[in-house]
This record gives sequence, structure tokens and C-alpha cells, in this order.
Amino acid sequence: MDYIDYYKILDLKKDATTEDIKKAYRKLARKHHPDLNPNNEEANKKFQQINEANEVLSDPEKRKKYDKYGKDWQHADQLDAQQQQQRQYQSQSQGYGGNSYSGGFGGEDFSDFFSSMFGGGGGRSSRNSPFKGQDYSADLQLNLLDAYTTHKQTLTVNGKQVRITIPAGVENGQKIKLPGYGAPGVNNGPPGDLYIKFNISDDPKFKRKGNDIYIQEEVDLYTAILGGEKIVETLNGKVKLKVPEGTQPDTTLRLKGKGFPVYKKDNQFGDLYIKWQVKIPTNLNAEQKELFEKLSKF
Amino acid sequence: METYLIPVEDICAYHHVEINFIHSLEDFGLIQTTVKKQSVFLPIDELSKLEQYLRLANDLQINLEGIHAVSHLLNQLQNMQQEITILQNELNYYKQLNQ
Repeated sequence: MDYIDYYKILDLKKDATTEDIKKAYRKLARKHHPDLNPNNEEANKKFQQINEANEVLSDPEKRKKYDKYGKDWQHADQLDAQQQQQRQYQSQSQGYGGNSYSGGFGGEDFSDFFSSMFGGGGGRSSRNSPFKGQDYSADLQLNLLDAYTTHKQTLTVNGKQVRITIPAGVENGQKIKLPGYGAPGVNNGPPGDLYIKFNISDDPKFKRKGNDIYIQEEVDLYTAILGGEKIVETLNGKVKLKVPEGTQPDTTLRLKGKGFPVYKKDNQFGDLYIKWQVKIPTNLNAEQKELFEKLSKF
Repeated sequence: METYLIPVEDICAYHHVEINFIHSLEDFGLIQTTVKKQSVFLPIDELSKLEQYLRLANDLQINLEGIHAVSHLLNQLQNMQQEITILQNELNYYKQLNQ
């Protein structure tokens, strides 16, 4: 547990006035407020630090204690006790009672340093403002087929079961917010939100680009030259395709509406692109070689 | 499917906010309320937006014009974040092709 320089966090000098602290807090809070920085965990952390610094420096009692012990905060209670004893020796009438900081602010949003110095959960001696609960974030691994259909999935977040609907067409890396599924609020504040990030693993056959799907299909030389039919597997079943006569290698065919579903748009799909890979026969027998040689003379 | 409605009066009492603030947000087109039997209600899916605006007003002392501008920019930011994700995935697709 390291010492935290609250003045540095708020970019203030040690002799900052209450007004300076207020101004600095508001300025930084505006910059790092979670509502203004969606999907930004770094800003979220920074905002908590700013809140903590403001919690200490805007409270004269806490600031006094913080300024008094500074880097010796780990021994604050011992120093308090020693000083109290000294005072009692010097004057029986005035004892330093120390500060009693009761919990109740929701210590989970505060650093260990804060809790250690100001007690279990911190505590607001003069204010009881409602605060939004902490946001949670979770990663959810899906394969491409999972992302192809709208389905429900149950997640366990912080010991709670959360059943969510995953809409078809989610992107890899996309985040969705579930309002109110975060940590409970403080002092009747609203609960935090739950952010779920979808990680969609690559599929060996189907390559996704936006809402379009790309695949490569092998076609033998004879079908490519003479034409024919080929059964191709798509994401929603098999389709029979006509291979035109004289199909060139790497020719790409587009199947409209056979691609990936468009996120939150019912019955809208991207396209499926099929690239024909013409397979050249190997290990030809004598007769086949002869026939090819004959052909080559035409 | 019927939308669950919350009486705006209850929201005002819970969040200690004047009803005028809710009306002003509606005037700016930031939220939508519904009137039923002479009472004003907020659809539940508008609640998180309203609470976000309340936090912006209370925590950051942002006035209504500011909230309007912030809301517009946040929408833009969200669209851009989504676009970045899509572009990153496209980039990965091309990287895989070159491998």
C-alpha cells in the first residue's frame, strides 16, 4: 500500500484554499466523470482517485490529519496515541481525542490508503451525497455461430446471476451496457452499470468483415472447365450453387443476404462471398497425362 | 408489449429534483414523458438517461444547454467507438489475409 499524494492528484499546492480545492475538483471531475467517458476504465479509476482526494482535502478534519502525518500515515494511530499521552502528562485537562471517522460511505470505492488512514469505509462527516455505485465490466467469449443468432446467456457477475440477451450481429470487441447491474449505490445513489465486452473468436472457415462473410471453396478442375454444381455450407445451412463453365481460379461469387445478421436490425443480413479455389489434379496416370497432352495441342 | 411507466412525481421525490427540470429536459428533446389520466409518467427505458442527466447537473453543475451539448457529443462518441471497433475487425481481416 503506497502513500497517495492527494494534492498532486488535484494538481494543487499544499497551501491551497477551500475554494482552490473546490475549483480543482470540479475541473478534473468534469474531465474524468464516468458519464462523460463511456467505456473508459482509465477515466473511471481516475475519477475515483479525484473523488477520494476531494473527500480528504475538502474536509477540514481529514485534511488536517492528512497534512499532519503525510508520509508517516502508517504510524498515524501510534503517533496519535503518543501525542495524546504527552498531552495528558503536560496537561491533565486537554486530551487529544483523535478523530472518529465512522464508516458508511462505501469503502470499496476508496483506496486501501484511504481506508487505513480514515477508517473502514471512509465516511463523510458533513455530507451524505448519493453516489452512483461502481461499474462492473466483464468479458464474454463467443464463437462466430453464437454471434449469428440472438440468444440468451446467463453470466455470474460478482456472485450474482445475470441473464442477458445477446442480439445477433454483435461485433468482436463491442461493449454493451446493462444499466443498474453494477455495484449498489451509496446513500440511496443509483447502482452502477455492467459493461460486457464480446470477444468473438475467429472461425477457420467463415471470415467476417462487418456484416459480410467470406469463404473459400474448392472446385475441381473439370467442374471449373465444364461447369457443374457444388453444395456449399453457409452459416444457415447448405446451398446448391451452379459453377459456370470456364470458372477462373479466385473468381468470387456473391450471395446476397446470406451473410451475417445486421446488429439490431431484424431480417437484414450482409452478403456471403465465395471464392472458388480451382484444385489442379496431381498424380495423373498415363492415360490422363496423354489426354492433357492432347488438349494442350489444341 | 406494454412499456412500464414510472410516475414522474415519484422520480422527483426520490432524486430531490424539481419537476420543472424534467419538463425542461423534455423541451430540449432529451427525454420523453407520457401523460395518462392527467399524470406524467416516464417510460422505464428513459430512466437511465434521465439519471445520467441528473448526475451531470448535480455532480458537475452543467446547465441544460450544456447537458444538451454533452448528450449530442456522447452520441457521436458512441457511434465513433462503434465504428472504430468495426474498422479494427476489418483491419484484422486484412491482416489475416496477408499472413
